Amino acid sequence: MQDATSQAELMVILRHAPHGSSWLKEGLDVALVAAAFDRRVTLLFMGEGITALLEGQQAGPLGQKGTAPTLAMLEMYDIDNLLVEQRGMDELGLTSDQLMLPVTGVDDAEISRLVASHALVLNF
Amino acid sequence: MLLHTLNRPPTSQVLAQALAGMGPDDKLLLIEDGVIGALPAHREHFNRVAGRLYALQEDLESRGLLPLRDQAVRVVDVEGFISMTETCERTVSWY
Amino acid sequence: MASTEIYRYLRVYNQNIPLDPEGYLVNMNDWSIHVCEQLAEEEGIAMTAEHWEVIQVLRDFYARFEQAPAMRPLVKAVGQALGPDKGRSIYLMKLFPGSPAKVGARLAGLPKPANCL
Repeated sequence: MQDATSQAELMVILRHAPHGSSWLKEGLDVALVAAAFDRRVTLLFMGEGITALLEGQQAGPLGQKGTAPTLAMLEMYDIDNLLVEQRGMDELGLTSDQLMLPVTGVDDAEISRLVASHALVLNF
Repeated sequence: MLLHTLNRPPTSQVLAQALAGMGPDDKLLLIEDGVIGALPAHREHFNRVAGRLYALQEDLESRGLLPLRDQAVRVVDVEGFISMTETCERTVSWY
Repeated sequence: MASTEIYRYLRVYNQNIPLDPEGYLVNMNDWSIHVCEQLAEEEGIAMTAEHWEVIQVLRDFYARFEQAPAMRPLVKAVGQALGPDKGRSIYLMKLFPGSPAKVGARLAGLPKPANCL
């Protein structure tokens, strides 16, 4: 790929909670593949997607793998720009000290700037 | 200028996420279940994108919503949708 | 990704160890030092202390993150565990020629790394 977007930063938006669907896993997989190929990746957790960051998560009742080990692995792929939607945090009544990774809260204005400034935005 | 599509009804929190992601010139196109948002009763949900709100004609028609829609919502057919994706820099889907 | 399809068996001390079509262990619990050596022999690799310490890094990575690493995180993990001189792709290429992430995962008894070509 030699087009203009091939080196552009990717933003992956994660809006789905763990276990309920495969959206979260798929979004994380895309982020990991991109990072494995040296692309800079920003992750934005919105709405229920924020609950993926909660401490104390485990495998599902049928032994399905959880996403917490994958989230812990992000730093090994140099994915360290982790953003959370501040309004979503407030609606869930959560604070950043309840989350397993250090995150930066962003408001709506910042989110729209991020969507505009990343040449690649993938919504999950 | 980006085109955002929304296929969830206005009662879904996905609407708020889409609005959060939209810049001041971006357009919002309601598709599939999203076209329920074209009813006048939901006008207030879309105040932030007044004048930049579109709904897909085929999805309005299949739900019997075309005659009931808020006249401020612009109606585009699938061809119009395609030309919007061409005139906008990128398309972001909210679902 | 891990496969459950048995394609062939690896003969290790009177035991038949099932392998998937790409040569990865079907049952991760089958892994042992002897199995590792036998798999290495198939790759034309004679295991040395330098190989073993990377195998340990791979197994630790899997224990912690439940996935085998692609090349980039493998380099980082090796660098963190064994020092910056070893945390380099050229060093890992010499130990595990071809694709260190894939060959390393196979010898370490892990599933094939998902996020690498």
